[in-house]
Amino acid sequence: MTGFDRDARRHFKNVAMMGLTVACIAVALIPLGSILYSVAVQGASVINGSFFTDVQPAPCSPSPLAACSQGGVANAIVGTLLLLALSCLIAIPLGILTGIYLAEYGRGPMVGGVRFLADVMTGFPSIIMGMFIYSSLLIVSPGRVFSLLAGGLALAVLMLPFVARTTEEALRLVPNSLREAALALGLPRFRVTGRVVLSSAREGVITGAILAMSRAGGETAPLIMTAFGNPFMATRLDQPVQAMSLLIYRFAASPYANWNALAWGTALILVIMMLGLSIAVRVLLRRRFRERRIGA
Amino acid sequence: MANESTKVDETGSLRPRSSRRGLWIGVAVLVVVVMILAAGFATSWFGLTSSGTNTQTITLSGQGSTFALPVISAWSTQYQTLTGVQINYQGTGSGAGINNIIAKNDDFGATDAPLNATQHQQNPSLLTIPESLGAVTIAYNVPGIPSHVNLTGPIIANIYLRLITNWNDASISSINPGVTFPNLAIIPVHRSDASGTTYCFTDYLSKVSAQWASQIGTAKSVSWPTGEIGGQGNPGVAQAVVQQSGAIGYVELAYSLQNNIAYAKVKNAAGSYILPTLDSTAAAAANAAGALPAGDGDWSHVSIVNATGADSYPIATFTYLLVYKELNVFPSGVMTQARATALVQFLWWAVHDGQSTAGTLQYVPLPSSVVAGDVTSIQSITFNGQGLPTS
Repeated sequence: MTGFDRDARRHFKNVAMMGLTVACIAVALIPLGSILYSVAVQGASVINGSFFTDVQPAPCSPSPLAACSQGGVANAIVGTLLLLALSCLIAIPLGILTGIYLAEYGRGPMVGGVRFLADVMTGFPSIIMGMFIYSSLLIVSPGRVFSLLAGGLALAVLMLPFVARTTEEALRLVPNSLREAALALGLPRFRVTGRVVLSSAREGVITGAILAMSRAGGETAPLIMTAFGNPFMATRLDQPVQAMSLLIYRFAASPYANWNALAWGTALILVIMMLGLSIAVRVLLRRRFRERRIGA
Repeated sequence: MANESTKVDETGSLRPRSSRRGLWIGVAVLVVVVMILAAGFATSWFGLTSSGTNTQTITLSGQGSTFALPVISAWSTQYQTLTGVQINYQGTGSGAGINNIIAKNDDFGATDAPLNATQHQQNPSLLTIPESLGAVTIAYNVPGIPSHVNLTGPIIANIYLRLITNWNDASISSINPGVTFPNLAIIPVHRSDASGTTYCFTDYLSKVSAQWASQIGTAKSVSWPTGEIGGQGNPGVAQAVVQQSGAIGYVELAYSLQNNIAYAKVKNAAGSYILPTLDSTAAAAANAAGALPAGDGDWSHVSIVNATGADSYPIATFTYLLVYKELNVFPSGVMTQARATALVQFLWWAVHDGQSTAGTLQYVPLPSSVVAGDVTSIQSITFNGQGLPTS
C-alpha cells in the first residue's frame, strides 16, 4: 500500500521534473530561434545575384531626390574569407604545436605558466588583441598599420590560445597505454606523438580548430583597428580589407535604408557560413566515429 | 564512400590509420585552398595582375567623424566611378580621426571639432579644410506632443545640467502655448565616445549658458552630470531616445530623419524658433563664415553655433578634412607622386563637384566664400616641395 503511494509519488515527481527541464530547454531555445528567424526573414529579402558580386554602395535612403542602388557585399565576403584563411594558416599550426608541448613534452613550471597564460588569453576582451597588433605595427611598420595582414594577425592571436588548449585537452584524453604500447614497439617519441597520440585525438583537435575559426569569423572588435574596413574589393596583404562582421557593425548602426538592409543580409550569410562550418565538422566526425565502431 | 570504408575495414587495423590521416590532411588543405581560390577568383588574383600593368589602382585612406561618414562614403563611390581612385573612409569618431592623421596612419582625417590650440601647435603642417556643413538636432521622445516643439538654448543647458527634470516644467510650457506637456521625467542622453557632435553641442551650450560654460565647458567629451545616459555614436544616441519615453538627445539631422524622431525648433540669436533644415544651416554658415583662418592657421576658435541672422539654425557645425601641407612627412615609401596627386585632386573634386552630393544626404553645400578658402589651402599642398596639379 505504502509502496504503491511511493511509486505514484515518484512517478509524479519524475514527470514534473521532466516537464521543468523541457520548459527550460524551450526558454533557452526561444531567443536563439527568434534571432535566427528575424535574421532569416530580414536578410533573405536582399539576397540576390548582385548581393554576392557587387561591392558596397553609397549610403542612400529612398527619396524623390535619389534612387538607391542595392549593391552587394562581395568585398566583405572576400575580406572575411581572406582574413580567416590567413589567421588559420598562422594560428592552427602554432596552436597545435603549443598544445602538443603542453600535453606531451612540457615539464616543470613552464607548462603551468603557458597554460595559465593561454587560459587568461581566452578570457581577454577581443579588442585587446586588436590593440596589441595595432600598437605593435605602429612601431614595426608606421604608415601601413591598417591592412589584411594586421587583421589576420589579430584574429590569429585570438585563435591561438583556443587551439592550444583544445589540442591539449584532446591529447590528454588519449589513454597512456597507447603511448606505452607504441614506445614498447620501438617507435621514436616524435612518431608516437605524431602518428599515435595526435591521430587518435584528431577529432578533438579539428573540432577545436574549427570552433576557434568560427569564433574568429564573427569577431568585430579586433578588426576595427587592424583590418580597418574597405568599401572596395581589396586582396593585398598590405591594404585594408572589409570584413562581414565590421560591415554589419557599421551598416546596422547607420541611418540609411540600403545599408541597414545589407547588414541584415550579411548577418544571414555569416550565420549560415558559421553554422555550415560547425555542421560540416559534426557530420565528418560522426561518420568517422561510425567507421571506427564498425571496424571494432 | 561506402565502398572505401568497407575496404578499410577489411584491410585490418594498421593500414587504415594512415589512409584516414591522409584524408584529413586533404580535407584541411582543401578547405584553405578553396577559401584562398574563392577570394582570388572574385578579384583579379591578389592585385598582382593589376600591378603588372601600369594601371595599378590608387587607394587613399582616411577616418574620423561619423557625422561626415555618409557624405564621404557617397563621394567615395562616385569618385571611384569617375576616376578609378579608391577612397577608403571609415567612421571611427572625430577623436580617432585626429589621432590617426597625427600618427600618419591615414592619408587624411575627418573631424567635426577643429584641432585645439595645442594640437595645432604640435602639428603646424596639418591643413584644416572645411568639407561640408551639418546641423545637430535636439531629438526627443515624449508621447502626445507635436513633433517640433520650441526649445531655447538655456532650457537645453538646464535640462543637461539636471536643473529641469520634468517635461511639464513651466519654462518649457511657457514657450509652447497650446501644447500640454505630460508629467514625465526627462532622461538626457549624450554621446559616450569622444565626438565632434558633442563638441558642437557643448560649444553651443557654453555660448548661451554661463553656468554651462563654467561648470561643464566645451570639448569632444565632457564630465556629464549624474543621472544621464550615454550612447555610442550618433546611432547609439538615436536608439536610446527612440527606446525611452521622456528621453532627449542630440543627433545629426540625418539620424533624426531616418529614425523618425521628433526634434525641436531652437531659438536662435535673433530670437526666432528655427527648425534645422538645409536652408537654416546654410544661413548659419553664411553668417558666421566671414572670417575663417587660413588653412594652416589656428582653427580652434572657429565656430558657427549661435550664428546671427533671423533664419540661422543655432546648432550647426563644419566638418573638416585634415591633410598634411607637405606630403613627404609619411614614412618612406608610403606616399608617392601618384598618390599625392590623387589626394589633391580628390580634395579639389570634393569641395567643388562633391558639394552637390551633400544636399541629397541632408548636408549643406559649402558657401562660396568657404570654397574659396579651401581652394587656396588645396593649392598650397606640395610633395617634396613641388606643387601638385589639381585636375
